[in-house]
Amino acid sequence: MNKEVLVDVKHLSHQFHLTKKAVIRAVDDVSFQIYQGEILGLVGESGSGKSTAARCLMNIYHPSAGEIRYRGINICNKKEFKANKKMLQTRRQMIFQDSSSSLNQRMKVAEIIGEPMKIHHMISKRGNYREEARFQMKYVGLDESFLDRYPSELSGGQRQRIAIARALSMEPEFLVADEPVASLDVSIQAQVINLFRHLQEEHGFTFLFIAHDLAMVEYLCDRVGVMYHGKLVELAPTGELFANPRHGYTKTLLSAIPIPDPVRERARKLSVYDESDFGDGEMEEVSPGHFVLVPHEGGNKIEKA
Amino acid sequence: MKNILEVKNLSVSFDSPAGEVQAVRDVSFSLQKGEVLAIVGESGCGKSVLCKSIMKLLPSSAKIKEGSICIHGTDITDYREREMQRIRGKVFSMIFQDPMTSLNPTIKIGQQIAEAVLVHDKKKTKDQVYERVIELMELVGIEHPHARYHLYPYNFSGGMRQRSVMAIALASNPDILFADEPTTALDVTIQAQILDLLREIQKKLGTSTILVSHDLGVVARAADRVAVMYAGKIVEIGTAEEVYYDPRHPYTWGLMQSLPAFSRGKDRLYTIPGMPPTLVNPPQGDAYACRNEYALGIDYEEMPPMFRITDTHYAATWLLDERAPKIEPPVGGKCFE
Repeated sequence: MNKEVLVDVKHLSHQFHLTKKAVIRAVDDVSFQIYQGEILGLVGESGSGKSTAARCLMNIYHPSAGEIRYRGINICNKKEFKANKKMLQTRRQMIFQDSSSSLNQRMKVAEIIGEPMKIHHMISKRGNYREEARFQMKYVGLDESFLDRYPSELSGGQRQRIAIARALSMEPEFLVADEPVASLDVSIQAQVINLFRHLQEEHGFTFLFIAHDLAMVEYLCDRVGVMYHGKLVELAPTGELFANPRHGYTKTLLSAIPIPDPVRERARKLSVYDESDFGDGEMEEVSPGHFVLVPHEGGNKIEKA
Repeated sequence: MKNILEVKNLSVSFDSPAGEVQAVRDVSFSLQKGEVLAIVGESGCGKSVLCKSIMKLLPSSAKIKEGSICIHGTDITDYREREMQRIRGKVFSMIFQDPMTSLNPTIKIGQQIAEAVLVHDKKKTKDQVYERVIELMELVGIEHPHARYHLYPYNFSGGMRQRSVMAIALASNPDILFADEPTTALDVTIQAQILDLLREIQKKLGTSTILVSHDLGVVARAADRVAVMYAGKIVEIGTAEEVYYDPRHPYTWGLMQSLPAFSRGKDRLYTIPGMPPTLVNPPQGDAYACRNEYALGIDYEEMPPMFRITDTHYAATWLLDERAPKIEPPVGGKCFE
């Protein structure tokens, strides 16, 4: 792939200090690239550091080590960040998991969508903020009648669309979606996923899509990274990863996808990951674009297919 | 087999400023001993209200308008709160969606389970209660129960918390267990473990379970029978095999098609157009008609009755009427072979 690298993450680590002694390594030496115009999926169990990694990317957390480059700008460096603050804060946007807590309950929908522009003192292309909100809502498939409603009056899917519309009002090029569909119904999930697809294909958006629903990830993403206990254990193009998983944890994860078929689903055996091929190590390229974490000496090696 | 629970023509409505919300409309079903019945549908279809109305956990603005609920042949529709308190926990208990909000964060896990044990049998001595708690924790698959007795909910992972909630629910061997989206807040890997645990407990103790979910993949693993709910009504009910391999109601088709597994290799995921109707003034006729691409003229005028397909499989759609045009269902059959 000769695509332009948009985000370059190198040896990113983030630690949470619980007490003076207890430290949680939420993200531990993770490196990956996000190319322009692709959807990168990040999967893993809860507590594996997916959200922490995403928050580091958005400057919500300051990483303990490593660097993140966005279009070549080191965003972890305060000076460089300040010099490019406006570009960074408008070009990158985030959609949170729980739309009921990420929208201000006391603001009307029109105000919510216009707020980012107000904060950045931007003049709307469509005259005023209200027109802008109307345009964005139409864009995400919501009716104009919602403009003067409060978030509590909307359903989960509609709220999530408002959150997307708010992110889109800045006309970003990079969107981080942190489990955007986890709290939604199956049929509404499909609507949101279709919207993401549309944004990527028609407008060239770049996504970091975090999820634990592998079926959605398989459908939506171009490449998938698998995280386990703060480490990225496998990174590969979606088709390759689902057809040919190399790492033990990926295999366990793939075997856990529910099948909507009672007979086969009941017969499916659960496999448990034994952590035999997990530990400090380096990413090794097993086939073009397919990286697997190989632990240093002492840990078991992954069988080469 | 004997029916443990029989619900007949149950209608529940809420008073709201906008008018009367008919959350459950004319629902009838029965539950046999030791089976798992899954209730599937979008949010706002009345799944949770149905469960809570059987347990009488609804707010005072809700009323059972019609119908009857029978448990072991006894009609409990008109039971008052005091009588309900006697049978709650013993006859039926409930597991909620989010284990963090149903546990008290300031009380140790063991003590919370002990509380549930004591409420139902106040005569137990301290040692007996402790023994019972350990037994329950082992039953739901919490390893090292003696050490974990003294931990707090925040020490536990999501899966372990859900197990603790199950231990509380099972404290006095209920006949019926209501599980309201028990796995929605959990990971894929843990999800399957909890579902297996549900099945295992059901086999060991002979408990009947009502599993509420919106995910047909989850339901496939655990359910013996499946009921599909839409706009407060059961639109299709049958054994899991019948509903998955031979779905008859267009809404069931829609739900199945919107699973990503069915759209593999396609450009767009299938979506059901529109939204579920508000239940303040439910539409005349079939509530699903306006979202249904197979809707017939009669769907807009008259409510379809439950058509019988087999002895266990029923669906409420005019498409099953003998005068209706024959339509090839877009899903069904053994599509994953």
